[in-house]
Amino acid sequence: MIDFLYQWVLAPFVEFAFMRRALVACLALALGSAPVGLFLVMRRMSLVGDAMSHAVLPGAAVGFLIAGLSLPAMSLGGFVAGVLVAGFAGLATRFTEIKEDASFAAFYLLSLAIGVLLVSSSGSNVDLMHLLFGSVLAVDDAALLLVASVASVTLLTLAVIYRPLLLESLDPVFLRAVGGHGSVWHLLFLLLVVLNLVSGFQALGTLMSVGLMMLPAICSRLWAATVGGMLLAAFLIAALAGMGGLLLSYHVELPSGPCIILLAGLFYIVSLFVAPQGGVLPRLLRQRHLES
Amino acid sequence: MNVRKIIVSSLLLSPLAAWANLPVVASFSIMADITREVGGERVSVVSLVGADQDAHVFQPKPADVKKLAEAKVFVVNGLGFEGWINRLNKSANFKGVTVTAGNGIKPLEVAEDEHGHDEHGHDHGRADPHAWHNPQHVLRYVDNIVAGLSRADAAGAAYYRERAAAYKARLQELDSWAGKQFAAVPAARRKVLTSHDAFAYLGQRYAIRFMAPQGVSTDAEASAKSVAQLIRQVKKEQVKAVFIENMSDRRLIDQLAKEAGVKVGGKLYSDALSSQPGARSYLEMFRSNVTALSQSM
Amino acid sequence: MIRLENLTVSYRRHPAVHHVSGSFADGQATAIFGPNGAGKSTLLKAIMGALKPDAGRVLMRGVVRRDMAYLPQQSEIDRSLPVSVIDLVSSGHWQRSGLFGKVGRNDDDASWNALVTVGLEDFATRPIAALSSGQFQRVLFARILVQDAPLILLDEPFNAVDAATTADLLALVERWKTEGRTVIAVLHDEQQVREHFPQTLLMAREVIAWGDTAEVLTADKLRRASDTAAHWSANAPVCRVDGVTP
Repeated sequence: MIDFLYQWVLAPFVEFAFMRRALVACLALALGSAPVGLFLVMRRMSLVGDAMSHAVLPGAAVGFLIAGLSLPAMSLGGFVAGVLVAGFAGLATRFTEIKEDASFAAFYLLSLAIGVLLVSSSGSNVDLMHLLFGSVLAVDDAALLLVASVASVTLLTLAVIYRPLLLESLDPVFLRAVGGHGSVWHLLFLLLVVLNLVSGFQALGTLMSVGLMMLPAICSRLWAATVGGMLLAAFLIAALAGMGGLLLSYHVELPSGPCIILLAGLFYIVSLFVAPQGGVLPRLLRQRHLES
Repeated sequence: MNVRKIIVSSLLLSPLAAWANLPVVASFSIMADITREVGGERVSVVSLVGADQDAHVFQPKPADVKKLAEAKVFVVNGLGFEGWINRLNKSANFKGVTVTAGNGIKPLEVAEDEHGHDEHGHDHGRADPHAWHNPQHVLRYVDNIVAGLSRADAAGAAYYRERAAAYKARLQELDSWAGKQFAAVPAARRKVLTSHDAFAYLGQRYAIRFMAPQGVSTDAEASAKSVAQLIRQVKKEQVKAVFIENMSDRRLIDQLAKEAGVKVGGKLYSDALSSQPGARSYLEMFRSNVTALSQSM
Repeated sequence: MIRLENLTVSYRRHPAVHHVSGSFADGQATAIFGPNGAGKSTLLKAIMGALKPDAGRVLMRGVVRRDMAYLPQQSEIDRSLPVSVIDLVSSGHWQRSGLFGKVGRNDDDASWNALVTVGLEDFATRPIAALSSGQFQRVLFARILVQDAPLILLDEPFNAVDAATTADLLALVERWKTEGRTVIAVLHDEQQVREHFPQTLLMAREVIAWGDTAEVLTADKLRRASDTAAHWSANAPVCRVDGVTP
C-alpha cells in the first residue's frame, strides 16, 4: 500500500524538481486566488477573470514597444492595463447607471481593441500574449517568487479588509449610509483581483490562473454554508486539483494546465449532484423534516 | 558613323538597359537572398516575408498581392512550406514564372510524434520543408532558380549561369567547412536539444541528432510526462547543447536545462534571415548556426 | 435638529422634492405622508445624504452621519450570500467599531438582545436566505436597534409585512419615542400615522402641511394633496419660483 502510494503519488515529486515547483506554484496560487475568487463569485463577477486576460494586452504591448521582449516590462504593463480597466469599470459602475458586468465588458473590449492596434502597428508578428502567459511546468524561480508574494500580499490584505469587503458585497447601501467608504474597499479588491490574475497569467497561463481562481470558489458554494467554510473548501479543492492534475499529467501523457482545471471541473460536476449544500441528490433524498 | 559616337551612345544606352530589371518576388528572406546572389544586377527582388519575420504566421495582404501581380518571377521554397501560396496565386492571377526552388529534392519525412499537430500553419503534410539547412540541397535550389530566371529573361541566361557557378563554389566551400567543424566533435556527442525542428536536414547531412522537447513547443501545452521523459533522456544521453527557438518557450527550456544540468546555447536561425549581424545573408546565417552548434556540443 | 431650506431634488429635471422648507422636531416621531410619487422617499434619501439636491440644502445641527440609522424601502441586500442572521445584525456595529475596532463581548450581547427583541433568536445562525420577507424586515429592525442611533429614518417599513410583524415593529417605534430618539418615517397607512406619529409632514412634492398630525391630516388638506398630485404634468415649463420661502 505504501509502495503503491509512493510510486503513484510521491515519486514524481521526489524525482523531479519541475514537478515540485509546479506543485508549490499551484498551492501558492490556490492560497491567494481562492479567496479572491470567492468574493468574485459572491459579487457576481465570475467572468471578470477571463475578460481580464484580454484586457491586459495593450499594457503588454506598450511594455514590449518600450523595452522589447522583456518579461518584467510586459508584465508590469499588463498589470497597469488591468488596473486601469478594473478601475475605470469600477468608477463607471459607481457613478453611472451601468452595472458592474456591463461596465467591465465595455472596458475590456476597448482595451483589447487598443491592444490589437498597438501590436499590429508595431509590425512585428511576435505573439505577445503567448510570451506573457507562462505554463505550470515552466515555473522558474522568478515566477514562483511572484506567485508566492502575491499570495502573501493577498492574504494579508484580505485579513485586514475582510469585514468591510463582505459588508460592501452584502449591503452597499448600508455601508454608504454609515459612511463606510465603500468605493475604497471595492477598488482595493479589484486591485487584488488584477494582481492575482496578472501574476497568475505570467507564471501559469490564463487557463490555470482563471481556472484555479474561479472553479474551486464556485464549487465551495455547494459544500459550505458560511464564508469561512467556503474559503477553506475553495483552498482544499484548488490544492487537490493542482496536485491531482499534475499527477495525471505525469502518468498519462496529457497537458498539465488543462488537466488541473479538468479535475477541478469534474469535481464541480460531481458536486452539483452530491454536495450537501445544494447538490441535486441530497435534495431528492428527502430527509424527514424537523418539528420546526 | 564615328566609332566614338557608337561607343558613347551604347554607354549612354546601357543604363537604360540595366533599368529594365527583372522584377522578382521571393516568398521569404532566405529565398530572396539566394535569388539575389544568382540574379545579381539583372533582378530586383522583393521578399514577402522579410528578415526577422515569421513565415509561419504570414497572412498575405492586398499589398502582397499587388507585388506579385507586378512581378515576372515568383520564387518559392515549395515542399509545403508556403501554406498560403494557392490563395495568393489565385488573388494575384500571377502569369509569370514560378520557381519552386525545392523541386527535385527528395524531402525528409516529418516524424509524426514530433509534429503532433499542425502548430505552424505549414501544410506540412508529411514533408519537412526546411531543406535549405543542407547546403547540398541549396545547390539544387540555385539550379532551379537559374532555370526560372533564364526562362523569364533569356538574354540574361549566361549571366545567371556565371553567377550561379560562383555561388555554388562558395556553397561547397561552406559545406566542407561545416563538415570539418562537426567532425571535430565525436559522433556520440553530436546531440542537440532544441524546440523547433527545422534542422532535420542539417542533422542528416552532418550526422547530428536533433531532439525536440516532445510536444513541448510553442502552442502545444506540455504534459508532465513528456517533460519528465525528456529530462531523463537528456541526462542519460548527456546532451550538452540546448538551444532556444524563440521566446515563447524560453522558460520551459530553461527549466529543463536547469534540471537536466545543461547550459542553454546561443541563437539558432531557422526560418529567416536577420537584420542584425550574424544572419544577414544565407551564407552568414549558416555559418553562425554551425559555429553555435559545434561550439556547444 | 434637522432643517430643510428650500430643498429641491430632481430626477432628470423633474422635481421630486420641490422647494421644501421646514424643520423636524428633535426627539419626536414625524411621519412623512402623501400620495404616490410625492417625493417622500426622495426626501428621506436627501436627508440621509444619498441624493444631492438641485437647490436648497439640508441643515443638520448636532447630528452627524454616524448618528443616523436608515432603513431603505427596498433592501438591496443580496440574500443569496452565505451570511447568517446574527452576522447581518452585527454589521450594525460598523459605525462604532469601524475597520479595526474589535467587536467585543458587549457588542455580541447587543446583537443577541436585538434579535431577542424582534423575536428571531432561534434564527441567529441560519442563513439570511432562510427568512421570509416579514422575518427579514424584523432582522433589519434588529440591526437598527444595534446601531443605537439618535436619528432613525424609515422608508415605508411596513410595506410587504404581515399585521403581526407590523404591530411588533410599531411597538419598537414606540420604544424609540420614549427613548427620545428622533424618528422620521415614510408611511402609507393613515391609521398608523394617527396612532403612532404625533408630527406629520404632508407633501405632494411640495409641502402641503407640516405640524401636529391632528391638524395636518384634515380632509381638505388631504384633498389638496391629491389635487396637487393630479396636476403633475410631463411637459412642465422651467420653474420660475426660486428663493421663495412659504
